[in-house]
Amino acid sequence: MIGITGYSIYVPRRRMRRELIAAAWGAPAMPGCKAVVNFDEDSLTMAQSAAWPLAQSGGVEALAFASTTAPYWQRSAASLIAAACDLPAQTATADFGGSLRSGTTALRAALDAVAAGSVRTALVTAADCRDGAPESAEEALFGDAAAAVSVGSEGLIAELVAAASRSDDFPDEWRRDTDAHVRSFASKYSLTRGYTENVVAVGRGLFEKAGVQPEQIARVALASSDGRAHLAAAKALGIPAARVEDVRAGDIGIAGAGMPLFLLAQALDRAKTGDLILALAYGDGADGFLFRSMGDGARLQADSATIEYPTYQIYRKLREYWRTSGGGAEISNVLLRREETQNVRLHGSLCPQCGLLQFPIAKVCGACHRHGGLIGKALARRGRLFTFTKDFLYNAPVEPTVMAVVDLDGGGRFLCQMTDVDPAAVEIGTEVELVLRRMREGPGDHYYYWKCRPAPAGTGS
Amino acid sequence: MAGSIKDQVAIVGVGCTKFGDNFDQSFEDMLVEAGFAAFADARIEPERVEAAWLGTFSPYAGNGKASVSLADALRMYGKPITRVENYCATGTDAFRNAAMAVASGMYDVALVAGAEKLKDRPMRGLGWEGGHPYQHDGLTAPGVFAMAANRYLHRFGDRFGSGRAALAKVSVKNHHNGAMNPKAHFQMEVSEEQVLNAPIVAWPFGLFDCCPTTDGAAAAVICREDMARAFRDDYVLVKGLGLAVTSGRPWYDAANEYVGFAATRAASEQAYRMAGIRNPVAEIDLAEVHDCFTWTEISNYEDLGFCRKGEGMHFIGEGRSALSGDLPVNPSGGLKSFGHPIGASGVRMIYEVVTQLRGQAGGRQVRDAELGLVHNLGGPGSVACVIVLGRP
Repeated sequence: MIGITGYSIYVPRRRMRRELIAAAWGAPAMPGCKAVVNFDEDSLTMAQSAAWPLAQSGGVEALAFASTTAPYWQRSAASLIAAACDLPAQTATADFGGSLRSGTTALRAALDAVAAGSVRTALVTAADCRDGAPESAEEALFGDAAAAVSVGSEGLIAELVAAASRSDDFPDEWRRDTDAHVRSFASKYSLTRGYTENVVAVGRGLFEKAGVQPEQIARVALASSDGRAHLAAAKALGIPAARVEDVRAGDIGIAGAGMPLFLLAQALDRAKTGDLILALAYGDGADGFLFRSMGDGARLQADSATIEYPTYQIYRKLREYWRTSGGGAEISNVLLRREETQNVRLHGSLCPQCGLLQFPIAKVCGACHRHGGLIGKALARRGRLFTFTKDFLYNAPVEPTVMAVVDLDGGGRFLCQMTDVDPAAVEIGTEVELVLRRMREGPGDHYYYWKCRPAPAGTGS
Repeated sequence: MAGSIKDQVAIVGVGCTKFGDNFDQSFEDMLVEAGFAAFADARIEPERVEAAWLGTFSPYAGNGKASVSLADALRMYGKPITRVENYCATGTDAFRNAAMAVASGMYDVALVAGAEKLKDRPMRGLGWEGGHPYQHDGLTAPGVFAMAANRYLHRFGDRFGSGRAALAKVSVKNHHNGAMNPKAHFQMEVSEEQVLNAPIVAWPFGLFDCCPTTDGAAAAVICREDMARAFRDDYVLVKGLGLAVTSGRPWYDAANEYVGFAATRAASEQAYRMAGIRNPVAEIDLAEVHDCFTWTEISNYEDLGFCRKGEGMHFIGEGRSALSGDLPVNPSGGLKSFGHPIGASGVRMIYEVVTQLRGQAGGRQVRDAELGLVHNLGGPGSVACVIVLGRP
């Protein structure tokens, strides 16, 4: 038996109310708000944040990243995410992209790898932060989010009943290698011939393959292209709207390749033992899965903290900033490689003599001055603010830059920027978590390092 | 056991440019002005200088890099010249090395010069040079000290009421002194209200809690004590020297209480021991200390032993460091008002103390000044240099 062993979601804390976008263009507003990346986030960092809780459970032998907005054309985001999750070098990493169903394609490949006995546990993490063109419908519709799912053959949360896919080169939505924004033929024809036809075909194929009737389906995780089409497709499959997962168009937005796994995680979290879950994703065809829940959900840790952008102008500035800003130093690959264990895997040194856990990695103990024999040790990614400043001098897209000195749980003191926080709320003693973020852009590269942010409420260390 | 060079080295000439936005002077122009002023003050021909030390922190556009920056400015070729860089303690450490070389008997007469041209730069304010390219991304000079100040105020702030008001008093005092100094960058008074209402640079520091970005150069001619009288009667002797270095990454030290600077404590202990000072607040007549930010001066009072840790806000509040107080601190106006061209500052402090000990400080003259202290604090409070100077 193979199936899902864990799931996790990540939603950026920034929110943009759609009425502010509409007001900027003098257009009628879509309801609700959308979740949007902070200026220091991208699909890679969101996917890493989603993957981290699952990576901690150990035994992950493969990691796949899926997105249509990977920060690199050439450089494996999966490999960087694996390192930031402190997975071993022999981890099989893979990057999926090109389609809104790349997350489910990666999931199917992971399930197949486990079924084939190639790996015991695989982690799939998917994220998107698609930027709609200014004044387009997509600008208001699209939201940013990530989700991760781990699969294996032991400790199952949900068993795989059947999987199916369909390929269909149907040109309804695309982005060329030179395009910054999604292009589309948004029309009723596109919805019926593209979206509905494909997901219904795969859904019906799964019913047939598994020998189940639509009324046996307890929950449907059906990614939507517009926040509505999924309901029509579910109806065509014979499933009432009450059993269809809310696609979160009203509070997160249409989250691209991150959405199918996000909705699967949401469905698994709401499922009861024995529930049959149908997961469907559209994009140049469709992927589908039937899972049977092997437990009662409610495993997700809620992160209720949100920060609203006060104006469209600030939102637009930050949305542009993380893609276009520069000013950082060029850093040699010699330094980057030598410091990977320290700066990406976040290891410090433990002194076997006096027991001090210290950062950065040391050859001589900072307390007892023992030379040699210090032991590499991963630092906790939680801690408390020891001191801070709010710096208006540092040239940043939003001021002030909060610099934090953090006492990490279990030892080690760390310096980093603080992000996702209202500066007025920063105080000594604040509980924080470390998150991977994009640092100041170099002249020819992105640099990823750790920042801290207020820990999610109710998830105390 | 550390040795002593007490009373072995004399300062016989000092020179200093006007500090400020010296847009019409190049780095070399400033070195020439300060250097030849020091030669004239010592009534010495430049050729008699046997060796020189140059303090510069941050070379830019070919200026301040290596010994040649001084050699080409003064056309001083074929002699031993050493460039010193030790964060903001650059100027004092250049002086310290020169003094030890003269005391060793290696040279009879040496020149110490410090210079910095910060106003030719594209950057705004003092950035954070030399840090890790992304581990330290986000740090600025005020931010580094602000992190310590916030911890300090968290721990001690409530004891005397509003911490920021105590910091503001340092700015008011140093601007008051600087207003009487024709070479100071800012020769103007500020009110406590102005300081408190200024835009925030790095909390808790507002604009008037921060020293400015300044151009300037200063120089001193030193010689063996037994030669000093040949140059002038009112020479000044080196009584004590100390330099101490702690971690340049204090934010990673979990044992660091982050409320002061161990480097200053260690450097001042060295200097006091050499100078034979047991009770600094009673024995020292004036002090030029490193007030890069207002809170730094408050911490300096404590770290230099003028008062106990946590009582520095009291020390300023009671007016003890004012010109009229029992230990006037920064009668020159300090970094806050005089300006802080980094490599020049330490030598400029020596210039001020020498001027005070000679009784030539005009309206800001400290009465009966016999013994003066100079203190530089570099990096994130990691490098401290303390020099005690006295009349013969």
